[in-house]
Amino acid sequence: MRSPVLVWVVVVGLFALHFVLHVGLGLGPEAPDLLTVALLLAAREVDVGKAAGTGLVFGLLEDSLSVLSFGANSVAMTLVGSLGAVTRDLFVGDSLFFLVSYFVVGKWLRDLIHWLMVGDSLRQPFVDQVLVQGTLGGIYAAVVGIVIMALTGLWREVPR
Amino acid sequence: MPPYPVEPEQSGTRRSLTLAVVFLLAAVSVTYLPDVAQQRLAFGLRASVLRPFIGMQQRLADARLRAAQVEVLRAQLDSLAGILSTQSSLSDENRTLRSLLGLARRIGPRYVPASVLRPGTAGSESMFLLLLGARDGVEEGAPVINRHGLVGVVREVRERTAVGMDWTHPDFRASAMTADGAAYGMVENRRGDFREADRLILAGGAYHEQLAPGTLVVTSGLGRRFPRGIPIGRIDGVAEVEAQWLKNYWLRPMVLPGEVTHVLVALPPDSLGDLSAALPPDSARSRLEELDAEARTQVRLQALEDSVLVLRARLEEAMAARPGGGP
Repeated sequence: MRSPVLVWVVVVGLFALHFVLHVGLGLGPEAPDLLTVALLLAAREVDVGKAAGTGLVFGLLEDSLSVLSFGANSVAMTLVGSLGAVTRDLFVGDSLFFLVSYFVVGKWLRDLIHWLMVGDSLRQPFVDQVLVQGTLGGIYAAVVGIVIMALTGLWREVPR
Repeated sequence: MPPYPVEPEQSGTRRSLTLAVVFLLAAVSVTYLPDVAQQRLAFGLRASVLRPFIGMQQRLADARLRAAQVEVLRAQLDSLAGILSTQSSLSDENRTLRSLLGLARRIGPRYVPASVLRPGTAGSESMFLLLLGARDGVEEGAPVINRHGLVGVVREVRERTAVGMDWTHPDFRASAMTADGAAYGMVENRRGDFREADRLILAGGAYHEQLAPGTLVVTSGLGRRFPRGIPIGRIDGVAEVEAQWLKNYWLRPMVLPGEVTHVLVALPPDSLGDLSAALPPDSARSRLEELDAEARTQVRLQALEDSVLVLRARLEEAMAARPGGGP
């Protein structure tokens, strides 16, 4: 059985690594969105309320580095956390297909909600921001997420 | 008949859903908070949870700078020491005369140097952090420049930190003019089809005037927001004509925000002086222009080296062809 402690250790590790890469080293899209990966991992372990709370905290931290659209990340992460937790009741097991879809759709949805929340003056074209960059970011997050799960022993294929 | 008791699992699910809705409402309400409250919240998070990460970028930037520029700085220091030793008396005399004439407020802004920190998180585009603040005399609206020209403006100031926005921000505006003062307009950001295609535009040029490509555009000082004379960009052609009345021009920016690592922040109350003397239009160059000039110099040096080699070879041939075969 997957240890909740291990999951939270990985989540906290990803949280720290995300800010080391994006804030400490100042990397942009070349570094994966580990915060969303961490949120999606946590959301599979906790109920909807706690997942939404985790998303809100993560989103506020990202928003604190933004002067453009304060709150957009908070809403996006809270919604993604909630929806991620809902998938626990809809899908069981950790098949490769499910995990890839889960990470890709989760990250893509996060970018879509953020795009919707930032406001007209700041919004980039939908095709570029959501379809192209969102999809590429989703695939990137899925690859990184699955590698992390495999390395840390969080990936198991048997249904719970 | 007593009602059926609520199942514990059902009750837990309901509580969890309620909690999720509360968090979601909290997230949405954050977007509607007043600017001041948002800034306080952001500052609180930056000064607590994110502080180690921001400090890490600062330390890395400092280390990178030290490693890259020790030799250059040493050479510059030697040169400056030489110059200063001969000019110290002149400087003292100048300062005394200025204070006597009350010209302190006309000599232009005072500046403090700062490192630029850029987070790479979503939504943080067009902004940067400065590790100086009200304690150092920085105020909201202070211009941020580097040796190439205008970088942006300080938007939020705390005791020890400040947040600025560069010219790629949609709210960026600067009253501008051509370096010769012949034409005036407003420089603003124009969003491209994708982020890398964001450009500067000089709006409001007179229809009857035609600005030549390459013309330098600087801040005009009108509106008392930026000092006069800071290079912003060069004319890159007509963008659009508005109703046979106005012309808007594309600008090639002097500063590429992504490459900026160190800046100068203007301090009040002198932050609205004239910088034309400090940043003369004749020597204004963007980073790209500098690289281009360096590349052309390299080509010329290479051609010169080739010519010297050819001449040397011919000389040797001529020497060898002389009777006796030697010099």
